Amino acid sequence: MRRLLSGVGNGFAEIWGHKLRSLLTISCVMLGVASMVLTTGFMEGFFKNWEDSLQDQGGIEKIFASAQGVKERQEPFAAVSPGLTLADARALSELVTQAGVISPEIDATLPRLARAGKTFEGRRGARVMGVTNAILEINRYEIGSGRAFSDLDMHDDSEVIIIGSKVREALFASGEEPLGAFIDFNNRPFRVIGVLHNYERFWGTYNTLDWKNEIAFVPVTTMATKVQRSDRLSFLNLKAANISHLRETVDAATNVLAQQHRGIIDFNVRTNEEQLASFASTKASFVIGGGAIAGVSLLVSGIGIMNLMLASINERVREIGIRKAVGATPFNIFSQFVAEAVTLSLLGGAAGVAVAVALIKVLAATLPPGSTPLLSPSAFVVGFVFSVSAGVLAGIYPAIQAAKLDPIEALRYE
Amino acid sequence: MSLAPEVLRLDRVGKRYPMGDVIVDALVDASFTLREGEAVAILGPSGSGKSTLMHLLGFLDSPSSGEILFEGRPVAVLTESQRARIRAEKIGFVFQAFNLLPRLSVRANVALPLAYHGSPPADAEDRVDRALELVGMSNRAHHKPGELSGGQRQRVAIARALVNEPRILLADEPTGNLDTKTAAAILDLFKELNRLGRTIVIVTHSPEIAGHFRRQLHVRDGLVTEGGVA
Ligand SMILES: Nc1ncnc2c1ncn2[C@@H]1O[C@H](COP(=O)(O)OP(=O)(O)OP(=O)(O)O)[C@@H](O)[C@H]1O
Ligand SMILES: [Mg+2]
Repeated sequence: MRRLLSGVGNGFAEIWGHKLRSLLTISCVMLGVASMVLTTGFMEGFFKNWEDSLQDQGGIEKIFASAQGVKERQEPFAAVSPGLTLADARALSELVTQAGVISPEIDATLPRLARAGKTFEGRRGARVMGVTNAILEINRYEIGSGRAFSDLDMHDDSEVIIIGSKVREALFASGEEPLGAFIDFNNRPFRVIGVLHNYERFWGTYNTLDWKNEIAFVPVTTMATKVQRSDRLSFLNLKAANISHLRETVDAATNVLAQQHRGIIDFNVRTNEEQLASFASTKASFVIGGGAIAGVSLLVSGIGIMNLMLASINERVREIGIRKAVGATPFNIFSQFVAEAVTLSLLGGAAGVAVAVALIKVLAATLPPGSTPLLSPSAFVVGFVFSVSAGVLAGIYPAIQAAKLDPIEALRYE
Repeated sequence: MSLAPEVLRLDRVGKRYPMGDVIVDALVDASFTLREGEAVAILGPSGSGKSTLMHLLGFLDSPSSGEILFEGRPVAVLTESQRARIRAEKIGFVFQAFNLLPRLSVRANVALPLAYHGSPPADAEDRVDRALELVGMSNRAHHKPGELSGGQRQRVAIARALVNEPRILLADEPTGNLDTKTAAAILDLFKELNRLGRTIVIVTHSPEIAGHFRRQLHVRDGLVTEGGVA
């Protein structure tokens, strides 16, 4: 222990004795660690964002049923294909017990929202959907003020509407109370009963969640009878009550729908699993890519350390000779040089972590939210451990060279 | 009179330096024995092979031919670590060129051999102080070798060789850079150490200094011969 301490002490003395060279070595490790921590930080930030947006689309419990063209061999029945209808939604809710929530949705064709001479334009135009309260749960909407639909609203095909924050912004002045007010939806007055939360997640200056704000909901029954005059659904989404029964729920829903459609497969039942799988595979390839970058930067810093250590040994051949002459064993010399490499790598690692923290803080403050790197503790641990090991490994070869020097040859070295 | 135990024995030891086409025989068939408690002066002209011989005695170099035995054991069979351990604990070496570490203080230079002891002595600090005091360098303990005169450096080198209280002291011209008074003091120190039982071998050009030693070895063109004061 004492020996080790004195080794580190000697290491410090040596480092101080060669300030420039030590500084260069420390910088090598520092860059390695910093780049590694930053890369991982950016990656983790990116995936955190992606994962959040997957969650915002309903998470992996969500099941999508949608109408699709019939298969080729069923072509003759295409004409009688009903698509998905409200009746299908009712059948599912009666027969598929594993489905926790069932959300029938009808997208209005060419919706127009207006009030007092103002029209809602939005970034991609207005979107008005006929829905049930299930959409709130499946797509994670929350009512900011007001209320959700009541059973009576559904039953009576009431002309009530829940609006997104952007719609409210466009149609109402800032102090104006939207609740209870009427807005025109395709020239029909609808009473506002609720306003959704405002959702924000920025990617640069772009709010990736604006699609949740530029929206309005009316009861699906109202949409079918009074606006679209058809109960064809645009979407029929389900949420498995239990994630571990996802497959069974999908199978049950497929069976019920096939039954409903008398065997005409004009629908498609999907889950978020593929998205999740692509998330996982992208993540894996990023991790590999990031690992490669980190590996290269560590290799570079390792080569830097090794170079500087070799230079240091070259410069200190005489010293090695003297130490050997007064009784240092090859192992003593080896440990001395490894201790120096370790001390330098530790200093470099600490500096690298400090630089990475500072950079991440600065980037977090200057970059638009959504693309900022995360301060991940695992990145620090990994970056630190890797760089220090790179330092030690890079120090071992020069240390062996030093240990092998012949004492008298070393003493004669000029 | 029974003989004291053998410390070092050389058996037809040769050292040959191949220098391209020319071969330099720095030492030829040297055979002699050093016993415990002996005091030996090695004399000879410049380039005759004295330093070469000293390096072999301190196992800093290996012979090209012949055999060296330390306490009856052939040095050739020892591992480098074993040789290093013996150097650290039993041999003190004063180099002709001092060989101090320029970045370490005088004190740290003197303490160096103790760091390589198998079990560092508990009184390491005291030993360093005593060694510095013996050569009269206590007041310069915190200087760097570069801040010292040649003679002062030589004394530090001697202190370093004494600090591990070696059984055998090998000194290559330890008084070469010293004035007569300091040289005499160092010589007295060596004689005192020898009286206490240490084996001492010094290289010197001075027959007068050699006269203080009971045994003399002459080296000439690599040939070692026993002899009285020349
Ligand atoms: N590494 C070497 N390579 C080649 N020749 C060498 C080497 N070391 C010593 N020699 C030669 O060996 C011979 C003896 O050298 P050595 O250093 O032992 O002399 P010395 O007696 O100590 O001389 P001095 O009194 O000047 O110190 C010299 O001719 C020298 O040139
Ligand atoms: Mg010499």
